[in-house]
Amino acid sequence: MSSHSNDSVQALYEGDQSKLYSGVMAHHSDVNSTESKSQVKKIWKIFWILLLITLVEVAMGMFMSHSLPRGLVNFFFLVLTVIKAGFIVANFMHLGDELKNFMVTVLVPLVLFVWFIIAFLADGGFWLHMNNSSESRVQITQQAEK
Amino acid sequence: MSNATAATAQDTNAWGGGRSPYNVSYGKMMMWFFLLSDALTFGALLISYGTTRFFSAVWPDANQVFKSFPFMGEHDLPLLFVSLMTFILIMSSVTMVLAVHAGHYGDKKSVAQWLLWTIIGGICFLGCQAWEWTHLAGECGGLWGTFTDVNTPVHEFQHFFNMKAPEVQNIFNPTTGHPLVAMQSTHNFFNYFFTITGFHGGHVTSGVIFNILMLVNTVNGTYERRGHYEMVEKIGLYWHFVDLVWVFVFTCFYLL
Repeated sequence: MSSHSNDSVQALYEGDQSKLYSGVMAHHSDVNSTESKSQVKKIWKIFWILLLITLVEVAMGMFMSHSLPRGLVNFFFLVLTVIKAGFIVANFMHLGDELKNFMVTVLVPLVLFVWFIIAFLADGGFWLHMNNSSESRVQITQQAEK
Repeated sequence: MSNATAATAQDTNAWGGGRSPYNVSYGKMMMWFFLLSDALTFGALLISYGTTRFFSAVWPDANQVFKSFPFMGEHDLPLLFVSLMTFILIMSSVTMVLAVHAGHYGDKKSVAQWLLWTIIGGICFLGCQAWEWTHLAGECGGLWGTFTDVNTPVHEFQHFFNMKAPEVQNIFNPTTGHPLVAMQSTHNFFNYFFTITGFHGGHVTSGVIFNILMLVNTVNGTYERRGHYEMVEKIGLYWHFVDLVWVFVFTCFYLL
C-alpha cells in the first residue's frame, strides 16, 4: 500500500481496474482514423487466410484423402489446423498483442498435450496390436476359418 | 490514465503487488485461465476419441458419414455441409472481432451492429448443427447408445465405411470377417460425435446468450457509462475460443 502515492490510482484500481490497464484496450477516439482502418483491414485479411486454409482442407478431404498416402494427408491437415489456430489466437484473441510473459503463462500449460497425445494414441495402438495378435483371437479366427 | 499507469510502474516492482505484472485486468486474465481449463477439457475429449479410434481395427469414413446436404436428397456431397458450418463460424468470429474493435473506439452503434451479426451467425451455426444431428439420428435410430444389438443387420452400418479399403473388406467378409467389430466402431464413433459436437454446441449456445445480454447492455448504454467495452473483449475471447475448438473438432471428425 505504501508504494502508492496517488490515491486516485488506488481508487481506480479497486473500483474498476479495467480502466487502469490499457494493453489492447487502449482507448482511442477516432474510429475513422487510418490506424483504425488498417486494423479493420488486417481483420479481413486474416478472415480470407482462414477461409483459404479451410477451402484447401476441404479440397484435400474430398479429392486426395484416398489417393495420397493417408499419413501424408493427415500431416497436412494437422499442420493447417495448427496454422489456423495460431491465426485465431494471435490476432482475433489478440494474444500476440499482450505482454510476452502473459503469452508464455497461457501457452506453456498446453505443452502437456504433446505428452497426452503421444501417450494415449500409442496406448490405443498397442491395445489394437495386442488384441489382433493375442492367442485367443488367433484361435477363434482359425476356428472360424475351418 | 496513462500518467497513473506510468507512476505505479515507476515506484512498484512488477511482481511486488498493487498492479498486474501482465498489464491485464483481473477479469480478462481469469477469462484466459478459464479458456485454458476448457481447452484441457476439450483436449481430453478429443484425445479420448483418438485413443478409441487407434484401438479400433476399422473406423467409419467421414466422406461416407457426412455426405448429405439439406434439400439435396441422397446426393453424394461429402464435407460440403460442414464446410458451410465452418464458414458461418469463421464469419461470426470476424464480426465478433469487429465488435471488439469498435469497442476500443467507444463506437456504440458499431458494437451493437457487429454483436447482432455475431448473434445471427451463432444461431445459423446452431441451426445447421440441429439439422445435422437430426439427419444422423435418423440414420442411426437415435443419438447416443446406438448400434449395440448384435443382431443388427450389417447393411445398417456398412454404408458408414469406405468399402474400398482392404481392412474394411476383411472385417465385412461374410465368412472370415467380424462385422461386429465394425458395429462397435460405429457405436463408438457416434457416441463421441454427439458428445463432442454437443459439448461444443453447448458452448456456442451459451456464447449466443452472452452476446444477447451484451447487446442489451450496449444498446442501454451500460458500457458507455462504464467508460469502456472490456466486457465485449472478454466475451469475444470466449467466442473466438469456441471457433478455435471447432477448428480442431472439424479436423478430428471430418478430415482425419
